[in-house]
Amino acid sequence: PERMLNQSSIGARSRDVFGLRCLPGECVLQRTVMVRKKLTAREGRGWLSGTLFCTHFRVAFVPQDSPKADDNADPILLGDHDIALASIEKVVAVGPNRTKLVTPNSSLKFTPEELVLYCRDMRVMCFLFDRLTPDAQVIEITYTIAKTYQPLKPGSVLAFQNAALGSVEMKQFLSNRRRDSHMNWFESASDWEQELERCGATSWRVSSVNDRFEMSNSLSKFIVVPQKVLDTELKKSFAHFNEGRIPRWCWRHPRGSDLLRMSSFQNNIYHEKDDIRNLEMVLFGCQSSLCVVVELGDELPSPADIQLAHSRLRALCLGDISSSVSVPDDKWLSTLEGTHWLDYIRSCLRKASEVSCLLRSGHLTVALQEVEDRDMSCVVSSLVQVMCDPHYRTQHGFQGLVQKEWVMAGHRFYSRINYHRESDKEESPVFLLFLDCVWHLWFQFPSRFQLTDDFLLALHDSVHLPLFSTFLSNCQRERCKRSQNVGQLYTPVNGWRDMLGPDSSSDTSDPPLPPVWDWALQYSRERRDGFVQPVAPMPPLQLLQNGNLNTNLDTHRLADAGPGSVFLLSRGAFTCPANLPPWRSGGSGAYRKSHRRALSCENVPGLERLLKAWALTELPQNTATASGSKGPLDPYEPLLPLLMGPCMSLWRECYLRGALHAQAFSHPVSANRPHPVDRLAQEVQQLRDQLAQLSPRAAPDSLTVTSDPRRPDTNLNQSTNNSTFLYSALRPKSTPPPTSTNQRTSRGPPSASAPPPRPTRDGPKHSFLFGHSAVAETRSDPRYHPPPGATKLPKSNGSSLTS
Amino acid sequence: MEKSGSVDSLGSKPSSRQPSVDSLSSTSTSRSDRSAQAKPPSVLSSDSVSTSAEFSPELRVKPKATAKKAHRDSDKEEPQLLPNETVQDMAPDITYFCPFTGALRGTVMVTNYRLFFKSMDKDPAFMLDLPLGVVSRVEKIGNTSSRADSSYGVVCKDMRILRFSHKQVDDTLKKSIFEVLMKFAFPVSNGLQIFAFEYGQVFPENGWKVYDPISEYKRQGIPNESWRITKVNDHFELCDTYPSTLVVPVNIPDEELKRVAAFRAKGRIPVLSWIHPESQATVTRCSQPTVGVNGKRSKEDEKYLQAIMDANAQSHKLFIFDARPSVNAAANKMKGGGYESEDAYQNAELVFLDIHNIHVMRESLRKLKDLVYPNIEDSHWLSNLESTHWLEHIKLILAGALRIADKVESGKTSVVVHCSDGWDRTAQLTSLSLLMLDGYYRTIRGFEVLLEKEWLSFGHRFQQRIGHGDKNHSDADRSPVFIQFIDCVWQLTRQFPAAFEFNEYFLVTILDHLYSCLFGTFLCNSEQQRLKEEIPKRTVSVWSYINSQLEEFTNPMYLNYSNQVLFPVVSLRHLELWSGYYIRWNPRMKPQEPIHQRHKELLAKRAELQKRVNELQREGEHWKTRNQCHNWIQEEPLCRSASLGDECTTTTSLNRQRCVTIRVECVYVGDHWTAAIYKILVL
Repeated sequence: PERMLNQSSIGARSRDVFGLRCLPGECVLQRTVMVRKKLTAREGRGWLSGTLFCTHFRVAFVPQDSPKADDNADPILLGDHDIALASIEKVVAVGPNRTKLVTPNSSLKFTPEELVLYCRDMRVMCFLFDRLTPDAQVIEITYTIAKTYQPLKPGSVLAFQNAALGSVEMKQFLSNRRRDSHMNWFESASDWEQELERCGATSWRVSSVNDRFEMSNSLSKFIVVPQKVLDTELKKSFAHFNEGRIPRWCWRHPRGSDLLRMSSFQNNIYHEKDDIRNLEMVLFGCQSSLCVVVELGDELPSPADIQLAHSRLRALCLGDISSSVSVPDDKWLSTLEGTHWLDYIRSCLRKASEVSCLLRSGHLTVALQEVEDRDMSCVVSSLVQVMCDPHYRTQHGFQGLVQKEWVMAGHRFYSRINYHRESDKEESPVFLLFLDCVWHLWFQFPSRFQLTDDFLLALHDSVHLPLFSTFLSNCQRERCKRSQNVGQLYTPVNGWRDMLGPDSSSDTSDPPLPPVWDWALQYSRERRDGFVQPVAPMPPLQLLQNGNLNTNLDTHRLADAGPGSVFLLSRGAFTCPANLPPWRSGGSGAYRKSHRRALSCENVPGLERLLKAWALTELPQNTATASGSKGPLDPYEPLLPLLMGPCMSLWRECYLRGALHAQAFSHPVSANRPHPVDRLAQEVQQLRDQLAQLSPRAAPDSLTVTSDPRRPDTNLNQSTNNSTFLYSALRPKSTPPPTSTNQRTSRGPPSASAPPPRPTRDGPKHSFLFGHSAVAETRSDPRYHPPPGATKLPKSNGSSLTS
Repeated sequence: MEKSGSVDSLGSKPSSRQPSVDSLSSTSTSRSDRSAQAKPPSVLSSDSVSTSAEFSPELRVKPKATAKKAHRDSDKEEPQLLPNETVQDMAPDITYFCPFTGALRGTVMVTNYRLFFKSMDKDPAFMLDLPLGVVSRVEKIGNTSSRADSSYGVVCKDMRILRFSHKQVDDTLKKSIFEVLMKFAFPVSNGLQIFAFEYGQVFPENGWKVYDPISEYKRQGIPNESWRITKVNDHFELCDTYPSTLVVPVNIPDEELKRVAAFRAKGRIPVLSWIHPESQATVTRCSQPTVGVNGKRSKEDEKYLQAIMDANAQSHKLFIFDARPSVNAAANKMKGGGYESEDAYQNAELVFLDIHNIHVMRESLRKLKDLVYPNIEDSHWLSNLESTHWLEHIKLILAGALRIADKVESGKTSVVVHCSDGWDRTAQLTSLSLLMLDGYYRTIRGFEVLLEKEWLSFGHRFQQRIGHGDKNHSDADRSPVFIQFIDCVWQLTRQFPAAFEFNEYFLVTILDHLYSCLFGTFLCNSEQQRLKEEIPKRTVSVWSYINSQLEEFTNPMYLNYSNQVLFPVVSLRHLELWSGYYIRWNPRMKPQEPIHQRHKELLAKRAELQKRVNELQREGEHWKTRNQCHNWIQEEPLCRSASLGDECTTTTSLNRQRCVTIRVECVYVGDHWTAAIYKILVL
């Protein structure tokens, strides 16, 4: 029934005549010429004219003068102006004097002047149709998009996945992708060991007791437990916790405290004496004295709360023109308050700050406890680590953190995101709430992060694409199962793929779905360049080894507490209820006497002092060293956010980017003026050229100017860093330097086996934080290899930069 | 008394003591005082404290080193006094109830310029330094007859309320120090002189020279064939609240101007504020016409507006923006005012901008003050903020200015702006639209010119609105009109972080000295009064102070986009409360990163590197002439000199602009390093 304007042929990357670079197997269903796309503030405002496409996978827009993309480059799922059909939530056509929500079955009685696509990730795309736009094409594309976009119904996800990744070429391509080795995936035992070593947690070990998911369905294969607990002893503990989620190690503070998480205790189980010893050993981890159980249930929002708040926030921020109810401007603030979204962010950040303050005092175990241990404990444990550990503020560190605390820990991404629209009751954007919390930290401490808000935004948007293995399962067990029968996932449902030939039935060899971290698949290099700060956050990180920061700051050590005291932290107060943990009450009274000192509240004040410290840090006396630029900055001092009402701001770049009528925050740009960054880049280049002219003639006596002795061995690495920095801004305008098309073709057929040296983006970025990198960027100096096409570039600054 | 090291470098009288930055600015900023030679230093400044403008001096602490010194001098316990500042009274054993840190015991000193409280309870010492100009009223709290402690509340114009108490004085003859305070806080009411007339600091820059109307109009291309400069108001005979230099249409003779003046309230005839360099569309300002209940008309006024329209060949229309809500404008007819009827003024279109009057604004800010000081209720913060309507007022003002700017820029149409008297809302609207239209006003000096022109010379009644030195705190003429304008400017800087040469601290400093009465700039109500009082002769301009230390006030992100018109988004969704001003006293609002300090370092670095680049270039030139045919160049391809070295990088961040980086590239040539490049990138 669908008209196929352009069927890409097998084996060759196709290019639509109007410049759309199709994915392998992707076909253009409809195209409309002479369309203008409204630009957001981020993109510079105004509008761009070009061609609008609709394929099975996306709505794509190709600007008129966009540089011809390199046909041989790796496929990118979405161009900068594209939107995946699966993220579209609503299609609204705007006519001369009315607006209409277009559904697959609706018929238009007018020719739209404007087409607005409301997306699940809170983007709003707006396309304007000119008088020059052929009317028939306008109506056609509106219908096509309305029919093809994924209405929220079970099963449509599969079709979408097929449209994006289902082709033979795409599968081939995906199976050849290598995993990013710069991040820790926490999939294997050695991954965990690496983390133990990084944190200096020597008294912990990786246990494979759950290798076959027999102990706990939802835990990962490998868990970290105290060195001194044997697997056989461990096995008896699982029954005492909801879903078998026993206390596991997550992270060790450099000052020697451990962070654990666990589900709620199973009370209805008889506790044998041996069990109890084991349970205590697991719970106390490697600290002998003190364990604080942080109950996450009572102060944090439930998943249902989060869902409600988020849906209100979406309704408020999207300002959907098709619905008659829109919030008047003068009610904006109170309506925003009424969503409670900011309240929830505050409570998560507050809880995480409390935990961070406990941890930094050293030598205690903090165990996060949640009934299921699969939602808010993911949020809090990862927030604590972002606050305390600079490693997790780098892009790769953060990705590892999400792997560790969300993916492997069994956050139910699949149910919470509810791609398949199967269980609305379960749906809750817990992960998005977490990203917003991280954004708040970033917003208050931008220079302490290596990753940027662009990265967080990209991750936020990717969550809404049902394409990534990361988000399509609820736990590792499911993920393993799925990857065993991927064939099922890839069975074509529309049938259109049958045209691709008989070999498409060889589903058994299908690669697993890609992880979300394969950014090159999703975003252009220009977008990815913005994921990290171009320069290292200060101060450079030293690698943690065996808790080398394990100096005890706190003179009033908490060790004077009796060994084995367990406290419950709830609503900012410490208590020691008798039945926490439950095995201590009831029949085991004798046990308490024999092994442990009686529980006392003696050291409650000590603990409360720690919490107070967090309230007081906001006063200058305590933060003086942290904020003074000259004072030695302890990199492990937690980033404690300000949480007062006026400090909680809305992530406008995310939630309000769709509000086309209200866009700001950009530098004024107009068509005939280069962007400030381009202009600066141009200036830099001019200065570089001048210096290049001067430098060879410079006399030895000019040494005095820069007598600063440089380490010749490291300058190579530094230069790579420099160039990534300098050229990140220039790249959009210049051709891909060493692999320009002309060079390629002149060299003969492009071979997949020997790709020309491609700049490895991840390597040098990584090295910012760790001083040096093994991966030297291979981007050669532009002075020696001017790209042949450089002179033909339309933008003058582009050519001046590369020549 | 220790002398600051910067005395000599400023070239002022060697004996004169430096003003303290902190003490001048009632505010804020204890900033780190690294370059003592370039600016008036600050006694209280401290390296250990955040230097951002948002920071409150209440919690300012002394650095360790000076704290020790302070200890030695602690008998005196004096701040460094300004020239001609004299101690009036001192009292020990005073308790200051800090709403954030609790009660503190210490000593209070009152001079003719400030209140200074110091407590050694804390280490480092706690100090509070308050210019008396900031005091709005002093009230005695509690039962006066009781023999318990007597408490005083010092209500400040800058959102604070300070509470002190001391033991009941036994000697009934001796006045409480707070009564002394009242005398010097309200010099006008007590027949004393405002401190600005005594302050004799000499600065390297003379701020009174910043604004010269003739050269400002010349910059705009005036006089031209349609507009002329008239001297008719040279002796303030036409209008005593207008400046002496006015720009009017060429074809209206001075005689006729007088007849127009008779028809406009307070004689404030329409005069030119700004002219578009290309389209010749103009922004003109005036007061309301005295239409009255009977709908009086004036042929001269109608002809005059026609002349304004005719001066712009691009458009055959004239927009009259009346800042008031239409109801208020109509109500003004009862009082003899009113608005232009479209019947009388051909081709003119009247637009009401719905901005409320000074009383509404005062009430709104009062509500805001109650909301933010001292404690903030978190759970209903946003709805409480909404109920103050402060941001809504800001929005309406910005929206009005935007409409004006849009009409002039996009519509190429001339506009006339007025409210009732044309000195409050009109000043807000014209100056904001000028900021949007003309990049010159977005530079530091340009902004100073803008204030001098649109606010000071055109007679915004600063004395009345602020009530300098006047104890009549409930005066209905007081209103935060100017604060509101500065808030609007701040909103613009948030939306266009790279478009303004000045930073947030600049705006805060202006507001602080609006109250401090240290400088003469904001004294009096009009140009005429200022001349009569010989303000420029007898006082120092705040611009002298600011222009002598520009590095404090410069925005490192600034990119000169002078021809770019800024169209801000005026939706409430994109406006924010200026917590860096209104909530700066709360230590819990202290920003997490010392942005101001880092920006300053950045600027210093940039200057230093620029210098090095210049040096190297000179050196290179020198070399070129000496070794013009150095065959080494031909033999040795550039590849041996290709390694780039990283000299220094600094990240920082303003708003959401990601980072600023200074970078030097060093090129390794054979066996030595040379060359440097700097640049700041805003990504």
